[in-house]
Amino acid sequence: MTEWFAKVEKLFTAAFITKDRWKLYFEGLGVTLEIAFFAAILGMIIGTVIALMKLSTTRNGKKTVLTVIANIYIDIIRGTPSVLQLLIMWFVIMKNSKNGVLIAVLSFGINSGAYVAEIVRAGILAVDNGQMEAGRSLGLSKAQTMCYIVLPQAVKNVLPPIGNEFIVLLKETAIVGYVSLTDLTRTANQISSRTYDAFMPLIGAAVIYFVVIKILTILLAQLERGLRKGDNR
Amino acid sequence: MIIVKDLHKTFENNHVLRGIHYHVHQGEKIVVVGPSGSGKSTFLRCLNLLETPTRGEIWFDGQLITDPKTSINKVREHMGMVFQNFNLFNNLTIMENITLAPTKLKIMSKEEASENALQLLQRVGLAEKADAYPGQLSGGQKQRIAIVRSLAMNPRVMLFDEPTSALDPEMVGEVLDVMKGLAESGMTMVVVTHEMGFAREVGTKVLFMDEGIIMEENEPAEFFNHPKCERLQEFLSKVL
Ligand SMILES: Nc1ncnc2c1ncn2[C@@H]1O[C@H](COP(=O)(O)OP(=O)(O)O)[C@@H](O)[C@H]1O
Ligand SMILES: [Mg+2]
Repeated sequence: MTEWFAKVEKLFTAAFITKDRWKLYFEGLGVTLEIAFFAAILGMIIGTVIALMKLSTTRNGKKTVLTVIANIYIDIIRGTPSVLQLLIMWFVIMKNSKNGVLIAVLSFGINSGAYVAEIVRAGILAVDNGQMEAGRSLGLSKAQTMCYIVLPQAVKNVLPPIGNEFIVLLKETAIVGYVSLTDLTRTANQISSRTYDAFMPLIGAAVIYFVVIKILTILLAQLERGLRKGDNR
Repeated sequence: MIIVKDLHKTFENNHVLRGIHYHVHQGEKIVVVGPSGSGKSTFLRCLNLLETPTRGEIWFDGQLITDPKTSINKVREHMGMVFQNFNLFNNLTIMENITLAPTKLKIMSKEEASENALQLLQRVGLAEKADAYPGQLSGGQKQRIAIVRSLAMNPRVMLFDEPTSALDPEMVGEVLDVMKGLAESGMTMVVVTHEMGFAREVGTKVLFMDEGIIMEENEPAEFFNHPKCERLQEFLSKVL
């Protein structure tokens, strides 16, 4: 028993304490969070624009060319693996850029945008059409009614699935190791190859992801509750 | 003021409006009645182009508004509409509901719009609700606010689509009273309703719509006492 403890302690020390290795995990986490955060923002912007494009109609209710473009975008993104999208962004589209984080943010943001677009579209469609009609009947334009009336109400509908999308995105960034960005997952991998022990570094990284996502989940739940409370409407 | 010529509307294969001709003069209160599904809502919604007519012309104050080049938004500023389900903006307070359009369309400053809104709210006895949200109001209150919201744009004509049909019976009166007041003030109104008492009392003309056309039109007394076509006689025997 004591032997076992001694062994675990040794592995633990090698994985986290020696040479201040614990700092590396947090540096890796920093990269993970940086990519996930900016990609999430980019994804929200792209997703909202694509959703509005997809919902655009002509004066007599027909599809527009914007709808077609939006559909093609969503199809392509959803129909290809995100690792491949990242590799294409890295080795083809942005091959002359040295800013790895930027490339990852673009790739994940563009990817997330397609999924966010579907969420936002559903959120907008869930707002009673009477809201739009009332706005239009007063002389407000479609864009004005969308902006002041429909989108603010759609936010409440989309918050839970968007939170979910953030969490998926955060975990998905673990593939940036493919293009040699040192995020949390790759850090753990590197340390394990140095200490000849896979268990401690990988479990350590898993625990960190888990804790971060747990915190995120709690924050999102609180935000949701806050929005609902200010909503005795 | 509003001239409708040979108005047709088709949804997919459903030919809902089948040639409507009508002329609404300034100050008239036109009441539209008819069985459900006869196209009353569609007719009303074509007048402010919430539905795009399939064929025909609509003229408003001398302007051909069915012309694709007409600015629909400008036209709608002068045509208020009140819906069966109120459609108050759920994310805004009552005050914001009323002032949004006049301020965003730069018709009034914020101060003017608020002052105007308060006066209108006083007129319908709901001034104390200015800071409430729609969800905190009763149906009757919501509909009175919806009327006020339209009036805040100083429309030339008001369209009502069954404004009391979604209300509990005890709240119908308060909404009809507001509409009567509006009628007395000289507003031009087109009202789709099942309230035959209102039609008789307030209407200058009553229209009977069925099968997508205006089957009969008359002054209220004649309309109700001596209906000519059989369909109308049948309809009145059911609703009166
Ligand atoms: N947006 C729409 N799409 C398809 N059909 C519609 C639409 N609006 C109305 N209709 C159809 O048009 C007919 C007339 O409806 P409506 O004008 O609402 O009648 P009313 O108001 O007299 O009850 C109905 O058969 C209805 O199903
Ligand atoms: Mg109707």
